[in-house]
Amino acid sequence: MSPEFLVAVIITIVGAATPILLAALGELVAEKSGVLNLGVEGMMLIGAVTGFAVASTTGNPWLGVLAAAAAASMTSMIFGFLTLSLSANQVATGLALTIFGAGFSALAGKAFLGRTITPFVEVFPAELARHAIWRVVFGYSPLVYLSLIMVVLTAWFLKSTRAGLILRAVGENDHSAHSIGYSVIGVRYAAVAFGGAMAGVAGSCFSLVLTPMWAEGLTAGRGWIALALVVFSAWRPYRLLAGAYLFGAVMTLELHAKAAGGWFSVVPPEAWAALPYLATILVLVAISMRRSGGTSAPACLGKPFLPTA
Amino acid sequence: MLYAAPVAAVLLTMVLGAIIFSLMGYNGVGAVIEIFTRPITNPLKWQDLGIKAAPLVVIGVGLSIAYRANVWNIGAEGQYIAGAMAGTAVALLTMSMEGPWILPAMIVAGVLGGMAWGAIPALLKTEFAVNEILTSLMLNYAIVHLLYFLLRGPWRDPMGFSFPQTSLFTPSQSLPYLWQGTIMHWGVPIAVIVALVAWFVMSRSVFGFQIKVVGAAPSAARYGGFSTRNTVWLALLVSGGLAGLAGILEVAGPFRQMVPGFPTGYGFTAIIVAFLGRLNPLGVIVAGIVLAITYVGGEVAQTTIGLPSAATGIFQAMMLFLLLAGDILVRYRLKAVRPATAGETA
Repeated sequence: MSPEFLVAVIITIVGAATPILLAALGELVAEKSGVLNLGVEGMMLIGAVTGFAVASTTGNPWLGVLAAAAAASMTSMIFGFLTLSLSANQVATGLALTIFGAGFSALAGKAFLGRTITPFVEVFPAELARHAIWRVVFGYSPLVYLSLIMVVLTAWFLKSTRAGLILRAVGENDHSAHSIGYSVIGVRYAAVAFGGAMAGVAGSCFSLVLTPMWAEGLTAGRGWIALALVVFSAWRPYRLLAGAYLFGAVMTLELHAKAAGGWFSVVPPEAWAALPYLATILVLVAISMRRSGGTSAPACLGKPFLPTA
Repeated sequence: MLYAAPVAAVLLTMVLGAIIFSLMGYNGVGAVIEIFTRPITNPLKWQDLGIKAAPLVVIGVGLSIAYRANVWNIGAEGQYIAGAMAGTAVALLTMSMEGPWILPAMIVAGVLGGMAWGAIPALLKTEFAVNEILTSLMLNYAIVHLLYFLLRGPWRDPMGFSFPQTSLFTPSQSLPYLWQGTIMHWGVPIAVIVALVAWFVMSRSVFGFQIKVVGAAPSAARYGGFSTRNTVWLALLVSGGLAGLAGILEVAGPFRQMVPGFPTGYGFTAIIVAFLGRLNPLGVIVAGIVLAITYVGGEVAQTTIGLPSAATGIFQAMMLFLLLAGDILVRYRLKAVRPATAGETA
């Protein structure tokens, strides 16, 4: 295996992993505050279509990313209002959000089918990546570096800041946090909004970098894989990073198998396409088996908060 | 009040839908009229309503039982496809045969296929404590790819000009029509019977009681000797089996062959049906018809006023949002006395 081939493999893996990493980071923060938002897939689709619409209209992909974050975050507020202010069932509301996002993005995207966008300007000057080997460090889309920065920031926020501590307290024991005087609902709103924004950026990663174009349902269930990734990571940002790249590798196996030839080419393409979903199930089983007894999930995950007095 | 919320949700969806679609530059009022009234006022559309509602009701009944037990089966779409595929497998094996036993054999295979696909999340939940939401959902995607593989290879009709689809089913493999000259097939009365039986079982039998107690009060259920484990299995086998039944009725009814376009998202829409029907099999019949109206009406609006088909999904999602929001207003009065009893149940 030549080093150039290896570099190409790594670059595709990182590319495929980045949107699920971004979306899963946002969901991780929301879940740390005790909210289970199953609408990631829907918010990603809203982000994907908004990002593409704005980028193709203005010609600036960064405006697209910002708009995607804003639109998906606003969409997540529907979920926030229903589950936090009206204490609706989080599972059902999240599902509704996904159905809504799929329908809305398909409708809004009609006008943008077949359009093109201006790609991102490379972060690093081309001279740095003159040798193919260096592309493994310098050759990615800006969103890849953004996702890495966000991993570090999120880990730092949750572990080392006062606000992060409050957020975790709200997720572990909402009534205690409430009785000390923290606004449980307020913290959760903020966490849900952040999760929405990150899902939006993740969606725009599909329509602005990976594909790059708009097609109905182009996220193809990756939002659900992001949800599984949060479980896989045991709610730890750095494990999330490792998990995302692992899933990225599984998702791009088909591509590399074709390039490698040999017995790989005997495997039908449908098997490769189904692999990420089956791998997700296997990973969930493996985690659950290793963690016999207690789980590391936030104690209040998915439970509505109803102040008792 | 319990039944006012779904009605209010549907009415509010119509009002808000008209406003939102007008803001988006469509003919909002026209869209609502086309979608929600045209299928009812035009008798030619009634048969369409019946055949669209049938699979939604059958799947929705199963899901309402699972959700009552607090088992979140999101994999009905996959179980629906699995059932249709199992039935198709029987059909392809019996292509050269004839006899009244073939269709029942296909239906049995369909139910078993749906159960088998539902058994996977049940096994993973009871043996490995893996959450059923993610596993059942992942299986939806997996089986679609299995379907594509079979249609592209082993199942492809040799006379089909290399289209990825099976041969047409023979008359003894197809669900008969209720009357000559209609498109109404036997799946429609079967759906009604399924819902009635489910209603009877849920409201009058120990099984139904067990499902409801385990879902509503797990500790009380354990004290009463009901096994949570068995309930998880029952919930997933029943909801999977019914989704499988819907699948085989659909493939042997309207489709009469297996095609790549078979998965149409009924399994997801049925989630809305289950909630709109208040997780009550009789309510599911009504909710199934309401959702069928949005499908049929959406098609009408597509041809008459050029509303994109995606609008249907938006109306359906809005209905669920508004129902969930309205539910709280229903439950709010109950919650007002909660502090007094919270200590005992916690």
